[in-house]
Amino acid sequence: MSVVDELARAGGTALYLQRNYDVLRRVVADSLRRRGLLLEPLREAVSRHSWVRKLLWRALPREEGVGLHGAFLYVPPGLRIQAPLTFCFVVSEAEQLVHNIVVVDEGSEVLMTSACASTERGEAHKGYTEVYLRRGARLNYVMIHSWMRETRVTAKTGVEVGEGGSFTQFYTCLKSPSTLTSDSRALLERRATALLSTLYVASPGSSTTISSTLILAGEGSRGEVLARAVAVRGAALRLPTRIEARAPGSRGHIECRGLQLSPDSRIETAPILCSLHGGSQLTHEAAIGKISEEELYYLMSRGFTEEEATSLLVRGFLETGIKGLPKVMRPQVEAVLSILARKAVG
Amino acid sequence: MALLELRNLHVAVAGRRVVKGINLEIERGELHILMGPNGSGKSTLLKAIMGIPGYTVVEGEIMFEGRDMRDLKPHERARMGIAMAYQSTRPIGVTLSRLIRELCRLYGTSPADVSGLGLEELLNRELHKGFSGGESKRVELALTILQRPKLALLDEPDSGVDLESIRVVGKAINRLVERGAAVLLVTHTGIVAEYLRRVDEAHVMIDGRIVASGELPHLLREVRAKGYSGLAGGGANERS
Ligand SMILES: Nc1ncnc2c1ncn2[C@@H]1O[C@H](COP(=O)(O)OP(=O)(O)OP(=O)(O)O)[C@@H](O)[C@H]1O
Ligand SMILES: [Mg+2]
Repeated sequence: MSVVDELARAGGTALYLQRNYDVLRRVVADSLRRRGLLLEPLREAVSRHSWVRKLLWRALPREEGVGLHGAFLYVPPGLRIQAPLTFCFVVSEAEQLVHNIVVVDEGSEVLMTSACASTERGEAHKGYTEVYLRRGARLNYVMIHSWMRETRVTAKTGVEVGEGGSFTQFYTCLKSPSTLTSDSRALLERRATALLSTLYVASPGSSTTISSTLILAGEGSRGEVLARAVAVRGAALRLPTRIEARAPGSRGHIECRGLQLSPDSRIETAPILCSLHGGSQLTHEAAIGKISEEELYYLMSRGFTEEEATSLLVRGFLETGIKGLPKVMRPQVEAVLSILARKAVG
Repeated sequence: MALLELRNLHVAVAGRRVVKGINLEIERGELHILMGPNGSGKSTLLKAIMGIPGYTVVEGEIMFEGRDMRDLKPHERARMGIAMAYQSTRPIGVTLSRLIRELCRLYGTSPADVSGLGLEELLNRELHKGFSGGESKRVELALTILQRPKLALLDEPDSGVDLESIRVVGKAINRLVERGAAVLLVTHTGIVAEYLRRVDEAHVMIDGRIVASGELPHLLREVRAKGYSGLAGGGANERS
């Protein structure tokens, strides 16, 4: 654990670690605390700051039965934090229901990562995260999760991106569970931008739905949904994506690609573009395919076995989905992609 | 024992016999040039040596270091020391830098081995995607070099390459030979040969057969004087 303290001291970061319903670690670098950064259990935050209550279930539809068990992060105006603030949630028994609220105030720029995981005895994880970016705030959110097969996972993220703000989200699972539903939606105000990116390898026999929605509510807002999904033996993957333009000058693009490594896998993409205003521009590209034999033989003729060649191509496929990833996160995400590519053929 | 020995080799593609009885021996470290009109079967021959599926040996043998290659997969042949620079390429879904890294790992080579080939700008791009003709040629040659082959099959590395870059290609081939590789080089013009330190033998292939073998300058003169059709009778074989 001292590593964490050192990290916090050196990199000016923060860490929040919760197992089941217990907060095990909560570290905030002094320099950040002095400048007004708050990292608290949500329950405490709601009782301490009256304005926080107003944010509950504003960016997400209310879920009954979800308590205030999660984290609250407030980043005051004018901060630039380039080392990641990290959230870890671990479920090791029964169910874990988590509700998080993140507020980044005007003009601040933050890198946030979440590392969620389960053990065999963790039956379900349901995570609800609401993100509020005020005017000009920028948040890069990198989610690297790792689930046991047994755990049923639901992850919902609702984001409001204030005027001129920017939100990017990268979602990937080192180990994917047999059942996963993820739903990310972002609402963009004037000249705000958002990128929702998913890099996913569905495990054998799993059933997965990953939805992404962007609402271009403000004039000149721009958003992109990127997905790269790989399905192996018996996996079924659904990727519903939607961009809705409600304001003039808004632009949106969906790029959704699926790769099937096995004839008995299933991938379904459902890109929906919906324009409620004549002055917007929406496009989408979706493709599902298998590894081409030509590419495979080319790599084999350079000395790679069929598995190695397949793994290289899977990695190459996933890699096309990481544009826009913050530089500091690159090594970590690249390492994840290597593992995913190896496992996809193993 | 020759490094590569083709014995009465016949290769069929898409149900059609394209290579029709080739006999050829290449010793370690030798450089052979193969010429011939479009569609005569040069690329097919190279792909059959590499073991690319679909290029089926229907008669005869490919012997490499005395071993029959018949049942070996392309990656097994590659690891035994055969490497190929393709004539034409399609995009491969891997970045050039990653492929270079993996090849270096596999063959114990270093990116510095191909430093002179001007690859810097291409490293982060998907292999051959949107590459210019000349760029693809340089990249193919570089990847072949990184495999540190005993036998390099170079399929028109100079075609579509500007005059100055042909010199670069020639130098890269020289470097391959210096490191002990034997080379089977397919070329149409012979210009690249002006930059090569040594050419051991040249062959002319017409309609799936080698109709003439000998010294390159002599064969080039013959081709210029009589055209390929004039050689088809097989009269120019110096050694026969
Ligand atoms: N994959 C294939 N499918 C069908 N036909 C093929 C295939 N590959 C080669 N061929 C045919 O085999 C013949 C020889 O082709 P090959 O590419 O070996 O010629 P080449 O001597 O290399 O010609 P060039 O100088 O134009 O490169 C041609 O008629 C070609 O159309
Ligand atoms: Mg050819």
